[in-house]
Amino acid sequence: MVQSINQHEVKLDFRAKKFIIWLFVVSSTIMFGGWTSYYIVFAASKGKGHGLVLPDLFMYSTGVLLVSSVCLFLASRAFRNQEFSMQKFFLWLTLGLGVIFAYLQISAWGTLVQTGAVFSNNNAAISLIYVVSGFHILHILAGLGLVLGSLFGAYRNISVDRQQFRMEITSIFWHFIDILWIYLYVFLLLNS
Amino acid sequence: MSTITIQNNQHHDSHDDHAHGHHKETFLSKYVFSMDHKMIAKQFLITGIIMAVIAMGLSILFRLQLAWPDRSFPILETFLGKWAEGGRIRPEFYLALVTIHGTIMVFFVLTAGLSGTFSNLLIPLQLGARDMASPFMNMLSYWFFFTACVVMMCSFFVQTGPASAGWTVYPPLSALPKAIPGSGTGMTLWLISMICFVVSSLMGGINYVSTVLNMRTKGMDLWKMPLTIWAFFLTAILGILSFPVLVAGVVLLIFDRSFGTSFYLSDIVIGTQVLPNEGGSPILWQHLFWFLGHPEVYIVIMPALGISSEVISVNSRKPIFGYHAMVYSLIGITILSFIVWGHHMFVTGMNPLLGGVFMITTLIIAVPSAVKTFNYLATLWRGNIRFTPAMLFAIGLVSFFISGGLTGIFLGNASLDINLHDTYFVVAHFHLVMGSAAIFGMLAGVYHWFPKMFGRMMNAKLGYLHFWLTFICAYLVFFPLHFLGLDGVPRRYYAFTEFEFMQKWVTVNIFVTWAAIIAALAQVAFLFNFFYSIFKGKVAPQNPWEANTLEWTTPVEHLHGNWPGEIPTVYRWPYDYSKPGAEEDFIPQTVPFSLTMSSNMPHDFEGNTEAERIQEEWMAAQEAKQKTIVD
Ligand code: HEM
Ligand SMILES: [Cu+2]
Repeated sequence: MVQSINQHEVKLDFRAKKFIIWLFVVSSTIMFGGWTSYYIVFAASKGKGHGLVLPDLFMYSTGVLLVSSVCLFLASRAFRNQEFSMQKFFLWLTLGLGVIFAYLQISAWGTLVQTGAVFSNNNAAISLIYVVSGFHILHILAGLGLVLGSLFGAYRNISVDRQQFRMEITSIFWHFIDILWIYLYVFLLLNS
Repeated sequence: MSTITIQNNQHHDSHDDHAHGHHKETFLSKYVFSMDHKMIAKQFLITGIIMAVIAMGLSILFRLQLAWPDRSFPILETFLGKWAEGGRIRPEFYLALVTIHGTIMVFFVLTAGLSGTFSNLLIPLQLGARDMASPFMNMLSYWFFFTACVVMMCSFFVQTGPASAGWTVYPPLSALPKAIPGSGTGMTLWLISMICFVVSSLMGGINYVSTVLNMRTKGMDLWKMPLTIWAFFLTAILGILSFPVLVAGVVLLIFDRSFGTSFYLSDIVIGTQVLPNEGGSPILWQHLFWFLGHPEVYIVIMPALGISSEVISVNSRKPIFGYHAMVYSLIGITILSFIVWGHHMFVTGMNPLLGGVFMITTLIIAVPSAVKTFNYLATLWRGNIRFTPAMLFAIGLVSFFISGGLTGIFLGNASLDINLHDTYFVVAHFHLVMGSAAIFGMLAGVYHWFPKMFGRMMNAKLGYLHFWLTFICAYLVFFPLHFLGLDGVPRRYYAFTEFEFMQKWVTVNIFVTWAAIIAALAQVAFLFNFFYSIFKGKVAPQNPWEANTLEWTTPVEHLHGNWPGEIPTVYRWPYDYSKPGAEEDFIPQTVPFSLTMSSNMPHDFEGNTEAERIQEEWMAAQEAKQKTIVD
C-alpha cells in the first residue's frame, strides 16, 4: 500500500517536472516571437527586409538538424524496446550531429561576414539574423547538455523511471529546437 | 505511530529522488540554499521588504527636492557625497532616484516580493502538495532574484551613477552611453540585473504553473481551489507569456549599446557629432516593452487581488460573492491584458485608427476589474466583519483599486490621454491603482499569513496604527497629484517650479512631501512589529483566523513535506463560512459532507445522485424524529 502511494507520488513528480520543460518551450517560443515580430514591424515600416540570399550553409545545417531529430527519435524507440546499445549509439549520433549543426551555423556567419552583411549593421534586419541564430545556438548547447544527461544515465544504469524521464525531456526539447530553427529559417527566407 | 514513520520515508523518496539516507540540515541548507518552499517564501519576503525600504528612502529623497527646490540639506551631502554637493540633489541624481525607485518597486517588491512570497508559501500549502514541482529550480529562482537586487544596488557605487532613463528605459536615451551619465555603466548594470530578474521570474512562474496543474491533492479539482491560487496561477501564466518579450527587447538594447547595431537608433546627433547608426526605431522598443509592461502591471495587482479575496471572505465570515465570476474576471484580465499595451503609446504618432482599437480594448478591460470590485463590496455587505489588520488592509486595497481604476478610464480615452500623458495625473493613477493597492494587498497577506510563516502572531494594535497612518497618508500623497496633472505639470522634471505657471504648486508639493514622510515613518511601526514578532510574538494557534483552507491544517511547527502523515483530502470548496445549519461558522475543506448533514445544500453534491439520495433520506429521518418529539 505504502509502496504504491510512494510510486504514485514519484510519478506525479516526474509529470510535473516534464511539464516544466513544456512551459520552458512556451516561453522560449515567445522570446523568438518577440524578435520575429520586431522584424515584421521593422520590415513593414521601412519597406525592406534583410535583402540577402541566405548562405547555402544554412540549408545544410537544417538538414543536419533534421537528421539529428530522427536519430533521437530512433534512440527513444530503442530505449522503449530495451535495445540499450542501439539507444546509446543513436544518442551519440544525435550529439555529433548537434555539434556539426552548431559548427555549420557559425561557418554560415563567416560567409555572411565575407559578403559584407556584418552584425553591426545599419540594417537591423541583418543584425537580427545573427541574434536569432545566435540565441538558437544557445538552445542547441542546452539541448546537447540534455542529450549528454541521457547518455550519462544510460551508462550509469540509473533506474528505468529516471532514464525514461531523461529521455522524454531530451526529446521534447530537442524536437522543439529543431522545429524552432525550421520556423526561423523559413521566416528569414520568406521575409527577405 | 508506525504509519507516521512510514509516511515520512515515503515523502522523502518522492521528494528528492537521489537522496540516500537522511537529510542533514546544516545552517547553509536550512536558511541559505534552502529548497523548502516555506523557507524560500520567507527569503523572498524579507528581501522584498529590504528592497521596499530602500526604494521608499529614495522616494523621500526626491520628494525633498520637489518640495524645497532651493533649500540646501547639508546632511544629504554627508550621506551622498558628490551626488548632493552643497546639500542639494544634483539633477542627474534626481533622475537616477526616480528610475531606481520605480524599478525596485515594480519589479523587485511588487513582482518578486509579492508573487515570490505568497505563491511559494501558499501554492503547496493550499493545494496539498509536499513542495513545488522542482524545489531546486525554486531555489535558483530566489538566488537569481537576489543577484538582480545586488547588481541593481551596485549601480549606486559606480562613478557615473545608476540608470536614469526612467523605469521604462526608453531609447535613445538609454541606448547611448554618452547621452547622460546614467546611461553609462549604470544602464549596463540595470540591463544585467533585469535579465537576472526575468530568469528568476520565469523559473518561479514555470514552477508555480506546473505545481498547480500537476500536484493538487485528492479532491482538489480546479473549481475547489481558493481564489488566491487562481490568482497566482494566472499571474504566473501572464509572466511566462510576457517576460520573454522583455528579454527579447533587452537583448537588442544591449547590442545597440555595446555592439554598434541599430535596432532602436537612427539619425542621432550628439553635440556636433553625427552617429553612424541608421534605420532603427525607438518606437519598436516601446512596443516590446509595453507588450510586457502592461501585463506586468496586472502581474503586480492580480496576486494582491487574490489575497484580498481570501482575507475578505474569511474576515466577513461569508462565502466570497460570485466565486466563478471572480475566476472568470481574472481569466478575462489575463487575456485582455495582452491587447491593450498601445494605450501607453497614444502620443507616439500611432495611426489614430490603431489608437481607437487600443482605446476600446482598454475600456473593455475595465469591465472584469469592475466585476471584481463589486464582488468585494458584495462580500463585505452585511458580513459579520472582523476588523483584523489584514482585513483593514484588504479593504484598503479595494478602496485604492476603485479610486485609481477610475482615473484609468480617463487615461484610456486617447483624446484625454493626449493631454494627460506624461503628467502627474498618470503618476497619481498608477500609484493608487498599482502602487498603493498592491502594497496593501501584500501587507494584508503578511498580516494574515504571518502566523503560518513564523508560528507567531503580529501585534494587532501596532497593525491598526500602521494601517490608519499609511491609508490616510497614501491618499494625502497621491490624490493631490491628480490636480497637478490636470494643470499640465509634467512628470520626471527636476524643478518644474522654474516655469512660472507651475509655481503655485510648490505649496502642494510641500504638503505632499510631509505626508510622504509621515507615511514612511508609519512603516517603522510595521518593521518593528514584523521583526519583533518573529522572535517574541505571541505563539500562534493552528488556525488563528478560523479559516477553511488547507494551510491551516498543517502543524504550526514547520516540517519538510508540510503534513506529518498523509496529505489531507479535500471535499468541498474553500468558502463555506456561516453556512446555515452548520454548527460553527466555518467548515474546513477537509470536512466531508457526511459529517455536515444538517447544513448540506442540494447544489453541494454537483449532481451526484447517490449522495443526494442519502441526504434526502437523512432529512426525512430527521423530520420524522422531529415529529415524534412534537407528538
Ligand atoms: C481600469 C483599468 C485601467 C485602465 C483603463 C488604465 C489605463 C491606463 C492608461 C491609458 C495609461 C497610460 C497613461 C499615459 O502614460 O499617458 C496607464 C498608465 C499606467 N497604468 Fe493603468 N489603467 C488601468 C488599470 C491599471 C492597473 C490595475 C494598474 C496596475 C496594477 C495600472 C498601472 C499603470 C501604470 C504603472 C501606468 C504608468 C506607466 C508609466 O508610464 O510609467 N493601471 N493606465
Ligand atoms: Cu497599461
